[in-house]
Amino acid sequence: MPFICNFPFFSILLSLFSGTVCSMLPAKAAKVVNRAVILAVGLMSAVLLLYLLSTGESFVYWMGHFPAPWGNEIRAGVLEAGMALFFCIIMYLSMAGGAHKLPGEVVESKHNLYYILVNLLLCSLLALVYTNDMFTAYVFVEINTISACGLIMIRQVGRTIEAAVRYMIMSLLGSGLLLFGLCIMYDLTGHLLMSNIKESVGLLIATGEYQIPLIVSVALMCIGLCIKSALFPFHAWLPDAYGYSTVSSAAILSSLVSKGYIFLLIKIIYRVIGFDIFNSTRIIDVLFIFGLMGMIFGSLSAIKENDIRRMIAFSSVAQIGYIYMGFGMGTQAGMVASIFHILSHAATKSLLFVAAIGLTDVSGGSRKFADLTGAAYRNKWAGAAFTVGSLSMVGIPLFSGFISKLLFAQAAVQVEGKMLASLIVLGISTVLNAVYFMKTVIRIYTAAPDAPYTGITFRNMKAYAVVLVCFMVLNVILGVSSQPIVDIIAQGLAMFA
Amino acid sequence: MGPNLFANYGEAVSAILFCIGFTNLLLQTNLIKKIIGLNIMDSAIYLFLAEKGYIAGRVAPIVVNGITSTEAYINPIPSGLVLTGIVVSVSVTALMLSLTIRLYLRYHSLDLDEISTQLKKEGK
Amino acid sequence: MYLILSSIFFPIIAGVFLLIRYRTPLSGENRNADRKTLLLLTGSFLVITAALVAAALLTAKEGFTLFYLTKNLPIFFQIDNIGTLFSLLAVIVLPCAGFFSFEYMKHEEREGRYYGFYLLVFGILNALCFAGNLITFYLFFELLTLSSMPLVLHNGSKEAVMAGLKYLFYSLCGAYAALFGIYFLYRNCDSLTFTTEGALRASAIAGQGGFLMVVAFIMLLGFGVKAGMFPMHAWLPTAHPVAPAPASAVLSAVIVKAGVLAIIRVLGMFGTDFLRGTWVQNTWLCLTLITVFMGSLLAYREPVLKKRLAYSTVSQLSYILFGLAVMQETALTGALLHVLAHGFVKAALFLCAGAIIYRTEKTRVEEMRGIGKEMPFTMWCFTIASLGLIGIPPTGGFLSKWYLALGSLKSGISVFDVLGPVILLVSALLTAGYLLPLTIHGFFPGADYDYKSLQKEEPCKLMTIPILVLTILSVLIGLFPDIIIHLIHMAVVG
Repeated sequence: MPFICNFPFFSILLSLFSGTVCSMLPAKAAKVVNRAVILAVGLMSAVLLLYLLSTGESFVYWMGHFPAPWGNEIRAGVLEAGMALFFCIIMYLSMAGGAHKLPGEVVESKHNLYYILVNLLLCSLLALVYTNDMFTAYVFVEINTISACGLIMIRQVGRTIEAAVRYMIMSLLGSGLLLFGLCIMYDLTGHLLMSNIKESVGLLIATGEYQIPLIVSVALMCIGLCIKSALFPFHAWLPDAYGYSTVSSAAILSSLVSKGYIFLLIKIIYRVIGFDIFNSTRIIDVLFIFGLMGMIFGSLSAIKENDIRRMIAFSSVAQIGYIYMGFGMGTQAGMVASIFHILSHAATKSLLFVAAIGLTDVSGGSRKFADLTGAAYRNKWAGAAFTVGSLSMVGIPLFSGFISKLLFAQAAVQVEGKMLASLIVLGISTVLNAVYFMKTVIRIYTAAPDAPYTGITFRNMKAYAVVLVCFMVLNVILGVSSQPIVDIIAQGLAMFA
Repeated sequence: MGPNLFANYGEAVSAILFCIGFTNLLLQTNLIKKIIGLNIMDSAIYLFLAEKGYIAGRVAPIVVNGITSTEAYINPIPSGLVLTGIVVSVSVTALMLSLTIRLYLRYHSLDLDEISTQLKKEGK
Repeated sequence: MYLILSSIFFPIIAGVFLLIRYRTPLSGENRNADRKTLLLLTGSFLVITAALVAAALLTAKEGFTLFYLTKNLPIFFQIDNIGTLFSLLAVIVLPCAGFFSFEYMKHEEREGRYYGFYLLVFGILNALCFAGNLITFYLFFELLTLSSMPLVLHNGSKEAVMAGLKYLFYSLCGAYAALFGIYFLYRNCDSLTFTTEGALRASAIAGQGGFLMVVAFIMLLGFGVKAGMFPMHAWLPTAHPVAPAPASAVLSAVIVKAGVLAIIRVLGMFGTDFLRGTWVQNTWLCLTLITVFMGSLLAYREPVLKKRLAYSTVSQLSYILFGLAVMQETALTGALLHVLAHGFVKAALFLCAGAIIYRTEKTRVEEMRGIGKEMPFTMWCFTIASLGLIGIPPTGGFLSKWYLALGSLKSGISVFDVLGPVILLVSALLTAGYLLPLTIHGFFPGADYDYKSLQKEEPCKLMTIPILVLTILSVLIGLFPDIIIHLIHMAVVG
């Protein structure tokens, strides 16, 4: 086994230990370590991705020397490596984009704690992406929850603590259900490794035994992960958590944390239950319906919102609805569309959060729309970036959002029963998105000659502007040259089976 | 259904406990009660696991008197899982408790809804 | 290839450059000098773009793929005869209205933004004309909406912003309806490249023809939003009055024509044989005739000049759509001819209205008594253009309506073949009714008019020359229609 196969394990371990190391370092050094680790992990994932693309096969890596049904395993395929790479890119950009705000948001002495949490989060995300063991997945789900909770509450305002508590409660409900489902699954199959469970599930289905407990277990795991990824109607905690935490936290939480859970769900669907078996259950219909409802109600809540960051947060609810709608279609094309939307939404939503902070900063820190009038003239880069993000969300061609909508629609057209519902809701949701995003864009580009705020020039925010440009480029890349990415996703899904 | 339920009374009890804990965590407004609910929920799962791992007439998988035959011991993996689970749930409970303390110090209340209304009044 | 690309991207880049360079309002001591450079730049950009388009039209014959959006969706450009026709319109009207704006926008702040978006619109319109397949077209169709919206809400008042939003939402809804159809076309066609013979697979027509008709209807409605077809015409009368007059001219003369172009393309994709004689055609004919009549009627009752012209646009565009809906060669010729005729006439009319507003700040028709004495040149152009819109020989409007009526009578569709020309005629009368009073009261203000207070308000050459050019063109089409009809014939026959 070549040396590269160690990379998944290295990246998990590296981020885990750098977290521990950060606790002993001063804030400045911790920041450097944090950035370096994210870069290193990203680099390793990129190398791994290239390697896997060249071999065209996934590999399984034993943790320790216990072979398959007993040991713990890591599995890496194209999709996992690609996801890890993408997570690293977004995380790096989000951290860099929010770095200049950090001193104002978090007490100086706690900065290194912040970096610990980020590293832990990265570690748990990577573990969720790579692991091949259900119980390991559960443990890292909890670690993910804890570090995400820490990221929310590190900014010590009443709202964030309350949001953290609400987030914790919903997350714990979710992980409780996940654990229970997992235990039932273990009970039924006697295995914890995904590949072994899948074999046993196949046998169970073939013999027709224990159908109900199997469905119950799958349903419990699905609901658990849906709650954790804030699928409508489990989204009540989300606007506060995203709306009041630090910029980087909000960007990371909205674009990565929920996506980690969704990715785990994809793994469960493909590698634990089996795609066809999953699709033969009624669960996909439920996911489909809640996805559609999320798309509409999330946008409706966003329209009513008068606070730009909460608005963006509510829009996340809608976007997560899209992803579940793709699951609910029950086809390969729907799944590819969902995974592409995970990427597209991650790139766009973190861009929006980072850009929004630039706009509120030049409006006296207020997030009310009335104060944001003309903000795009005071901070031109943030204004441009917000516009790009909005256009992508609305689904204008050339930006990533359009491609995901196109993929969803193409997938929908192939599913007879769900075609009309998906296309109509897609349309309604597009228009609703346009309502609140274009309203904001016009608002920030409406000149406000009497606004008492001063603008900011490029010279004072070089790093921030560079991050915004990177985000915009990422968005356009996803929108213009989507074909290779879609190919990789399809290849990765093929490797899953 | 009936006989099955009776034969697997351990699982049935743990499922009922899980529901009790789940409902508490979801519906109680008092934070401490929520945390208790959380613990009930987690314990129910551990009970379930332990029940599944237990084989009647065997002992815990700790070698004390030289018997190495696997026939003598119960399945050790669920016990291991329970241990791991307990660690997780303890840390989560600790985190929840610390958050509760912070909220209590700020708002002098353990009622989440009341805290929310106070927050709305602050208007921030 | 490079000519097509540069005619699309040169104005876009130039527009973006202007947007960045003049992002702050012109002010201070150097305002005049700065403004001169801005105008010089814009003017040269407009001329260069026009030259590029002309060169592209004359030389480039081969289509090419720029890149692939996804595997089966290339961004593909090609110049065909229909595209050439629409491109001719854009390439004449946009520079004219652009030069007109130099004077009209003199006192506005943020001129740079206006010209920036103006150039963007120019480039995107070129791209629309040269687009070779549906997805490319859709891409630039959306961009057109976005880049023309700032022109509508230019002055930034609450009213203008609301009008801009209304325009945006109507257009986005329409565009989504169109996209909805594109999904199905994509599934049921071998490629989305434009044709005139229908691209649907025979198996698809046989299998789900009924459903595809619904799709076709939705697409027609969706693109019809842009072309102001009833019942989605409401954005036009809201957007026009608040936009600066040259922007209205471009909006009304060219941008709404993008909807017409879209519908021509969609018809080509579905194939007229597929739709002829179906409920789609009948409903569509019905809608266009309602729009023709209702637009004229509303214009007749409207006191504000620009709004009146906007309603007139609604009505006149449906003349074109009617010609398309008849699905008959002669009618199609008439429709395409009317695209040009109406484009020049309406641009001239809006520019005249702009000149009047600019010099006298009069917006309502009843205030304009005696306007012909104050601005005789402008009003003469207005009168000639009006005659073109009403359809009095020898203007282009006469010819196009003649063809429309002839085509309709030849088509052999029951009821509509006669009803169509009748409604067109009634509408023409109404057109005379809402345009000629301006001329009449303008030149003959009546006995009680106070001639002593009369001042000459004739605008400067920068304004009059574009109006003159457009007016002359509208007449020339009627006098020498052979070249255009030859081109249209090529487009229709293929």
